[in-house]
Amino acid sequence: MIMNKVIDTQSLSLRYGEFTALTDINLPIFRNKVTALIGPSGCGKSTFLRCLNRMNDLIDNVKLEGTILFNGQAVEGVNADVIELRKKIGMVFQKPNPFPMSIFDNVAYGPRQQGIKNKEVLRGIVEKALRQAALYDEVKDRMNQSATRLSGGQQQRLCIARALAMEPEVLLMDEPTSALDPLATQRIEELIEDLKKEYTIVIVTHSMQQAARISDHTAFFLLGELIEFGLTSDIFANPKDKRTEAYITGRFG
Amino acid sequence: MKGSKTSLSQIDTIIGSLLMILALVASSFIVIIATFIAIRGILPFITDNNGLGSVNVLQFLTDTVWLRGTYFISTAYGAGFIIINTLYIAFLTVLMSFPIGVLTALFIAKVAPRPLAAAMRTIIELLASIPSIVFGLVGVGLFLPLIYQLARSLGYSSGAGSSVLATVFVLSLMSIPTITAVAEVSIRQVDESLEHASLALGATPTQTRFKITLLAAKSGIFSGAILAVGRSLGEATAVSLVSGNARSGPSFGLFETTATITSTLLQGLKETSGIDYDIRFSLGILLMVVILTTNFALNFIKRKVGNVHE
Repeated sequence: MIMNKVIDTQSLSLRYGEFTALTDINLPIFRNKVTALIGPSGCGKSTFLRCLNRMNDLIDNVKLEGTILFNGQAVEGVNADVIELRKKIGMVFQKPNPFPMSIFDNVAYGPRQQGIKNKEVLRGIVEKALRQAALYDEVKDRMNQSATRLSGGQQQRLCIARALAMEPEVLLMDEPTSALDPLATQRIEELIEDLKKEYTIVIVTHSMQQAARISDHTAFFLLGELIEFGLTSDIFANPKDKRTEAYITGRFG
Repeated sequence: MKGSKTSLSQIDTIIGSLLMILALVASSFIVIIATFIAIRGILPFITDNNGLGSVNVLQFLTDTVWLRGTYFISTAYGAGFIIINTLYIAFLTVLMSFPIGVLTALFIAKVAPRPLAAAMRTIIELLASIPSIVFGLVGVGLFLPLIYQLARSLGYSSGAGSSVLATVFVLSLMSIPTITAVAEVSIRQVDESLEHASLALGATPTQTRFKITLLAAKSGIFSGAILAVGRSLGEATAVSLVSGNARSGPSFGLFETTATITSTLLQGLKETSGIDYDIRFSLGILLMVVILTTNFALNFIKRKVGNVHE
C-alpha cells in the first residue's frame, strides 16, 4: 500500500481524567480515499475522529500522548495552529446542525469568518459548495430562506456544503446518516462516493453495510484499541483478527 | 367499591370547581384594577372639577407643561412631554443596560471559569432582588453629587444633579441584573453542537460566541430586554428621587431635569386634593396604555425578528 498519507497517527493515546479512551493508535489516512471507522459504542472511534481536528480540546481534563501528523506536520504542540488545521479538516456532525440563519448565510459562514466580504466571491463559493453537496438545484430559488426549514437529509447536505465551502482537504464525518431515513442516507452515501475524487473522507459509522458500501479502508476499534486496519474488501472478506470477524458477522455490537 | 368511586369523582369535581373559582377571582383583579383606574381617571375630563371646568383630553395628551396657571390651580394639565420623557428614558436605559447585561451574560455563560461564573450568578441574583428604593438611595447619595460635579465641570447647569442621566443610571442599575439573568439562561441553553460546528469551520471562539451563540439565544435575550423596558416604564420611587420632577419639557439633554409618568403620578400625591389629586388617576390610565402598547409593539418586533430563522 504505497499511497499518499494525508494524516498519520503514531502511538496516539487519549485519556479523559482516569478513563483511557484510546490506546496506542497507529492509523494512516490516505488521500482521496474513504476511511471508515467501525466498532461498538464507546470503542473510541468518534474520539479518534475528534482528535484529527482537535475538537477534543473543548473537553476538560483530556490528556493526549503520541503524534498526529497532518501533511507531515504535528497538529498538537506549540507550533500548531488549530484554526488553520480546522480550515483544512472540515467536519460533519451526527445530527444535522444548520445555524439558525438562511441557507446562503450557512454556507457563507466559514468564508466570512476568514474575512471574505465580496458578495460576488461569496456567491461563487456558496454555489460551488452547494453543487458539490448535490443540494444546489433544490435550494437555488430560496437561498434566503431559513436553513432550519429544510428536511433532515437536506440539512445534512447543507452541513456538508458548509464544510466544503472552506475547501478543506479532509472531511471528517461522525455518523452523518444516523439521524436520517434510508432514502436520505442513500443520497449522502452517493454524495460521499462523488466527493472522494476531490477530498479525503474519514467516516465514523455504526452500520457495517454502510462501511462496506462506501469505504476503501476500514479500521475496527474495540475498547479504545485499533484491532484491525486494512482495505475494506479484505476486512470484510478475510478479517485477520477473531474479534473483527465476530463484530462484522454480528456476534456483538 | 362503587360508592367510594363515586365519592372520589365527586371530590375531583369539587376541587376542579374550587380551582376555577380561585382562577376567576385572581383574573378578575385585573378587571377590577383597570375599571377602577379608568373610572377615577376619566373624572377630570367629564366633570367640571368644582367649577374649574373640565380638562381638555387633547391638551392633556399633547401639552408640554404640567399644570399651567396662577397659584397652581387650573385645569391646564399637559402630559405630552411626560409621555415623550418616559419613552426617551426607557430607550436610553435599554441602550445602556442591554449591551452591558448581554455581554455580562455571555461572559458568565461561556467565558468565566466555573467558580467565578457561580459567584457572579449569585451576585446577579442578589442585585435583582434589591428593592428599588435602595437603588433610589444610591442614586440620590452617589449619582446626584457626581453628576452635579460632572455637569459643572463641563459648564452645564443641573438641578443639583437631578437629571435624565441620573434617572437612566438608576434604571440601568436596576435593569442590568434582569437582562443578565434572562440572557444567561438562554445563552446556556444554546445547542452546543452549533458552537462546535462553528469552531470546526475554523472560526475563533470569539467569532463563535458573537456570531452563533448570541444569534441562537436571540429570542431569550430579547425577552430580557422587554422585561427591562417594562421595569423602566413602571418604576416610580427610585425615579422620583433622581429625576428632578420637571413640570415642563420634554427633556432631551442628559443634564436636564425630567419627569416620567410614574414620578409625576407619585410627586405630592398625598398632599394634594381636588383635580390635582384626581388627575393622577388619569396618569394611571396613561401609564397602563403606554406599557401595554410598548409591550405589544416589542412582542411584535420580537416575533418578526426572532422567528425568521427558527
